[in-house]
Amino acid sequence: MDKSSIRTSSNNKVIIAMYIFSGGFVLFAALLGLLVSSVTVPVPTIINIILQKSFGLGWKGDIPRNVEMIIWHIRFPRVLLALFIGAALSLAGAAFQGLLRNPLADPFTIGVSSGATLGAVSVLYFQINFLGLGTFSLPVVAILGGFVALMIVFGITRLSNRGMAVETIILAGIIISSFISAIVSLIIALSSQEDMRQILYWMMGSVGMRGWSHLELFMPFFLIGAAIVLMHHRELNALAVGEESAQHLGVDVKKRKIWILIGASLLTGSSVAVSGSIGFVGLVIPHLVRLLTGPNHRHVLPLSMLMGGAYLVLADLIARTIIAPKELPIGVITALIGAPVFAVLLMRRFRRGVS
Amino acid sequence: MIKVERLSGGYGREQIIDNISFEVHKGEFFALLGPNGSGKSTIFKLITGVIPRLGGEVALRGKPIEALSITEKARMLAVLSQEEKVFFDFTVEEIVMLGRYPHQRGFLKTISIEDRDAVERSMSICKVDHYRYKPFTELSGGEKQRVLLAKALAQEPQVLLLDEPTNHLDIRHTFDMLNLLKEWQRTNELTVFAILHDLNIASLYADRVALLRDGQIVEIGNVHMLRKEKQLEDVYGVKVNAGSHPKMAKPQLFLLPHSDEPPFAAGGFSSMFNLERDESVIHLRCSQPLRSISNGVIGEGLGWARHFCNFHVDKNYNCSNPQQDIRGWLDDRGIPAEETIGMMTAVQLEDMVMLTHEANDYSCLVVVTAGVGNAVDITAETQPEAVRRIGTINTMLFIDGHLTDGALVNAMLSASEAKTKAMHDMQIKDRLTGTVATGTSTDSLLIACTQRGTATPYAGSGTVIGKRLGQLIYQALKQAIGKYQKRMAKV
Repeated sequence: MDKSSIRTSSNNKVIIAMYIFSGGFVLFAALLGLLVSSVTVPVPTIINIILQKSFGLGWKGDIPRNVEMIIWHIRFPRVLLALFIGAALSLAGAAFQGLLRNPLADPFTIGVSSGATLGAVSVLYFQINFLGLGTFSLPVVAILGGFVALMIVFGITRLSNRGMAVETIILAGIIISSFISAIVSLIIALSSQEDMRQILYWMMGSVGMRGWSHLELFMPFFLIGAAIVLMHHRELNALAVGEESAQHLGVDVKKRKIWILIGASLLTGSSVAVSGSIGFVGLVIPHLVRLLTGPNHRHVLPLSMLMGGAYLVLADLIARTIIAPKELPIGVITALIGAPVFAVLLMRRFRRGVS
Repeated sequence: MIKVERLSGGYGREQIIDNISFEVHKGEFFALLGPNGSGKSTIFKLITGVIPRLGGEVALRGKPIEALSITEKARMLAVLSQEEKVFFDFTVEEIVMLGRYPHQRGFLKTISIEDRDAVERSMSICKVDHYRYKPFTELSGGEKQRVLLAKALAQEPQVLLLDEPTNHLDIRHTFDMLNLLKEWQRTNELTVFAILHDLNIASLYADRVALLRDGQIVEIGNVHMLRKEKQLEDVYGVKVNAGSHPKMAKPQLFLLPHSDEPPFAAGGFSSMFNLERDESVIHLRCSQPLRSISNGVIGEGLGWARHFCNFHVDKNYNCSNPQQDIRGWLDDRGIPAEETIGMMTAVQLEDMVMLTHEANDYSCLVVVTAGVGNAVDITAETQPEAVRRIGTINTMLFIDGHLTDGALVNAMLSASEAKTKAMHDMQIKDRLTGTVATGTSTDSLLIACTQRGTATPYAGSGTVIGKRLGQLIYQALKQAIGKYQKRMAKV
């Protein structure tokens, strides 16, 4: 009994430590993101500007307008957006993985991002005002596009075999992604030179050149999507024993599955709408968190959000500093890190002989 | 507890279950039996609602299941199926905690003290608490099933549905699991409704069984309906022989594989035997195992044997552990004790009498050693006495024929009658009463048959076999007693 209580407490300690570490990591990454740039602004000034602007708690009076401008209107929204997009994609990834019992699932690998991209590109190109939603047409159509792509992927998987096998879902995701990128390419080919450059750059994923308006566009969907997914941590745990057994445990599998898919699609679609498709964040981060805390979704979900947010802020930092003064699309950085991780995960699965 | 009425259903448009009705009572162990594809699992899926019903009603504690929410149902009914897959590296404790899902209330659904208690209790009952922090995926098959059972018990259900829960388990784990369930069933009034593959296990653990074929119930009843060999043959399409568990009043079934009859040995029935005799043992070895009934010191009762031994012991033999002695002697001679029927006598083995009767049917061979120092009239009103002097009649009778168990008992009666008649005709007296003796106090008898040809259910005095064995034993015994008397007269 002694031994076991030591082990529980040590496990709890690991989890508490993880929360503290992740929180600190978020603050550290955010500050670093605000600090490092072509124009260096001292940390106290940065903090002062943010506190002054958010809560009216500034203590310094003599901050130049252009510095305030850089921090408050350019860097701060950019860091916040990276933080929330990273949180959204990681949470969506964790949700898809739990739901599909598939560690390889990620908004990018199962085709949701592509669907959302097509939705967003259509809105940008055709200047659609969906249901009179105005600027909100972009995220709403992107979310719908992601959801429809997901349904098609599920349809293909179900028709090819009954069991929703892990590899089949990934394959179906690739098929849908390829098909959708063909359509997107078609749209791009038909567009003007200037539009083409813009759409292409947007597609590679970036959190730069966004302002508060993009955050306003994104936050409602993020908050609702995150709330829905976080509320389903018990169901995601129960689904680990399979859908039929989860139902025997009292989970209304059909209903819960749809809710989780809606939540994850909200997160993915709205992320894609404001920042383009940024791959593999949802794959790498939940995997890392699970390695450290175990698979319990009660902790995997919130910790993935924190870690994912900080990760994307740092990725953005690298993207805009590594070939400064030019910027790399952030999607390039995440893919360079994510694709090898994906490959390793895939090889491990086959070596273990898990089907 | 579970009432199923006119239930129909299946997968898609294919109707597998057709209009069946039955009831599982509170606190009983009810087993669903039937061949693969007979619809056992389908019934489970219809009850749990995994597949929709096409007709009929299912009620749980008097409530129709469609009136229960999925969570309400999970509080009453837990399911344990064949080995389940668990994804991600959940620990044993986390898996068992999943069983609390239907009991967690409130907005945050946090883990309550009751949840902790229920999890601890079911983990300790299933003996999985000592590896609670181990990842489920690293456990062996038997451990996994115990963890999943603990998860099901953590649901605190009133009914437990078991879908071939012991399929992947070895016999020890199978029995561990079923004993555990049986105890939980008794102490907590748990109702167990199980699909079982193994009819013998079902017979040992179930209170009632239902036999299913092609989506229809053939019969529902207590486990003794498994004695209906013809019915089982019809349902499963294999030949079975129903017997009884030697220690429990439960039927056990024996499968009969297809096999050819052993060929006749050239040179008649007695050529199947090899006789070795010295002053300490008569050892008959048969070229094939024989179906035997006996009251020998070892190999007693009904069984099969190839070696038949009659050991000579001294008059003052200390018979505190005769079984162990015989096993030792057999070991010394390299005779396998498990295939041997062994007897003992103080009679000189050279006085053995062996007679044969070769015929087209029911050839017989009899080997007798006789001593009548302890002759007793079983009908005389004297207190039974322990052995006064070693002196006994040991009879081994071999028959080339197929006798049923009943016929074997019948043959023992016939042999006894013949012995008594021989005693009478030779005027062997009970020393205490002076009346004619009916036998000695420690007689041994063995009857062994080749089981070739058609089975005969009778071996009494009204049959060829009964008459033949009676005459043969009578003659052999008269000769043997004659030899004994001659030897005693010399002393």
